[in-house]
Amino acid sequence: MRRLLFILPLLTLALMAGFFAWSLTSGRDPASIGSVVVGREAPKLDLPALRPGDPPLTGAALRTGKPVIVNFFASWCTPCLAEHPLFTRLAEREGATIIGIAWKNKREDATAWLKKLGDPFKFAGLDLDGKTGLDWGLSGVPETYLIDGAGIVRRHYRGPITERDLNETILPFLKGAVK
Amino acid sequence: MLEFLLALLTTATVAALLWPLLRTRLPARDRLRAELAIYRDQLAELDRERAAGTLGPTEATAARTEIERRMLAAGDAASATAKAKTSSDAVQKWLPPALSLFVPLLALGLYLQVGRPGLPAAPFADRVAERGTGHTGPQQLDVARLLTEARARLAQDPNDADALAALAEGLTLEAGGTVTPQALDALRRALQARPDDPRILYYLGLHEAQSGDSKAAIARWSDLVAKSPPDAPYLGLLRAEIARVAKAAGIEVPQPAQPPPSTMPTPSREQQEAMAQLPPEQRQQAIRSMVEGLAARLADAPQDRAGWLRLANAWKVLGENANAADAYGRADTLAPVDARILADWAEAHVRQLAPGAVPSPQAVAVLERLEKAEPRNALALFYLGVAAEAAGNKPAALQRWKTLLALLPADAPIRGMLEERIKGAGG
Repeated sequence: MRRLLFILPLLTLALMAGFFAWSLTSGRDPASIGSVVVGREAPKLDLPALRPGDPPLTGAALRTGKPVIVNFFASWCTPCLAEHPLFTRLAEREGATIIGIAWKNKREDATAWLKKLGDPFKFAGLDLDGKTGLDWGLSGVPETYLIDGAGIVRRHYRGPITERDLNETILPFLKGAVK
Repeated sequence: MLEFLLALLTTATVAALLWPLLRTRLPARDRLRAELAIYRDQLAELDRERAAGTLGPTEATAARTEIERRMLAAGDAASATAKAKTSSDAVQKWLPPALSLFVPLLALGLYLQVGRPGLPAAPFADRVAERGTGHTGPQQLDVARLLTEARARLAQDPNDADALAALAEGLTLEAGGTVTPQALDALRRALQARPDDPRILYYLGLHEAQSGDSKAAIARWSDLVAKSPPDAPYLGLLRAEIARVAKAAGIEVPQPAQPPPSTMPTPSREQQEAMAQLPPEQRQQAIRSMVEGLAARLADAPQDRAGWLRLANAWKVLGENANAADAYGRADTLAPVDARILADWAEAHVRQLAPGAVPSPQAVAVLERLEKAEPRNALALFYLGVAAEAAGNKPAALQRWKTLLALLPADAPIRGMLEERIKGAGG
């Protein structure tokens, strides 16, 4: 029993070394935290409208029979600035339906930001306390979800979308090529 | 549930900490009593062994004496430690309750001060006083000025292409480098009047790159590089941008062709080494004769722009600033020089000036080009200020000098002189 106790640190070290070796060689991306919503029905959506005069944002906006892009953003978020022209292009040139949700962002800040950079959102909601973000498994902004016509989440991008995402997944998805 | 677990953890931690503290309070008397009990046991055993006859009377007496001596020694030691401990007894007695009161009180105080949920928010924007007012850097001021100037010019002529381009640039800088829809609108209108303007083409390309059309952006920019003069001041930036966007989008870009090298000979390694061996005066002479030879050859081949630039540099090193300025001018007539060479050229001009003299019209022309390429160039700001003051335009002089003063580090030696001149000009 005593001897076993002495082996314990060595055993722990060996276990940890084994784990590290596996981590380094298995090609696992430790930054990727996966997503719990992909492949399931989109979480519920019940938010006040961002733009004054709009009806509140509800799950009905997700089930139009057409693919929808949901983007969580904030005016204080720099990567959101970088991906914004891509959404503008998607809305203008591809006619995509994009739902924008201002996350932990004051209404006047978010609307001023959209006024400056252009507003590509067909529907826009305000998630001031971040509760809807929790339901959607959000880790921060920007994050983007692709939802198919049946209301099932097909893809979840953490971080800003890029030209590569646009060409490789988003555009084919909008054309119905990606399930 | 979580709160309960946290409380449990806290209790366990506190218990682990308090346990040794309480344990040391075991009184010395208890230990003595335990020791005496052991010795009494030993005495009882001794008696039993003697009664059983396993121990002789002499050995039994010796053992008894030994045990009794130990009992006395234990008693002495106990009373000694008891005496020594009286001073720390008070600490022993009061420390645990004091700690167990003080720590939670401290924690509660800290919590009420900084951690309680009802505290009002302290957004960054409201803490201007903490940040100080020195945070509006020259960059922000420049953008604001650029925008106001562009809008003022557009108010007079809504189709002023230059003002539209400036407006687009200002809006883009204001939005942290993203070409906004308004900026794009301005750029498209400006492009109709000026289809070749590098600034307009650059920002249109930037918009294409940002909206996921890197190929179009690179095509537009490569076209602009091909059409630009080989030493346009923006070429470095443009090539870097092409490389950045190409890398991000995973596109290969053909390397741009290098400008043709000068046909003029450069001194070989042996010549350079031989020259280094010469005494300073002879070396100076040798260099001078080589430079003069270069000048003579260039008189026969005046189209060699790189040769002129090398000659200008050589004259400048030799301190022949008038010759240097002349050679820069010859190179410039073949193709406009870039900002870096403009700075050298302007330096060659102003080095010819006597202290306090006003720059010549040629110098002013070079300085103005330099200022246009590099609005924050200290040389241009200072000497154009001098020229403006001499021409009676004190506001222009003051504006340049004040800009320069703001750019100078706090310990720059020429600050004093500059402040004097600003005062002298009435600022």
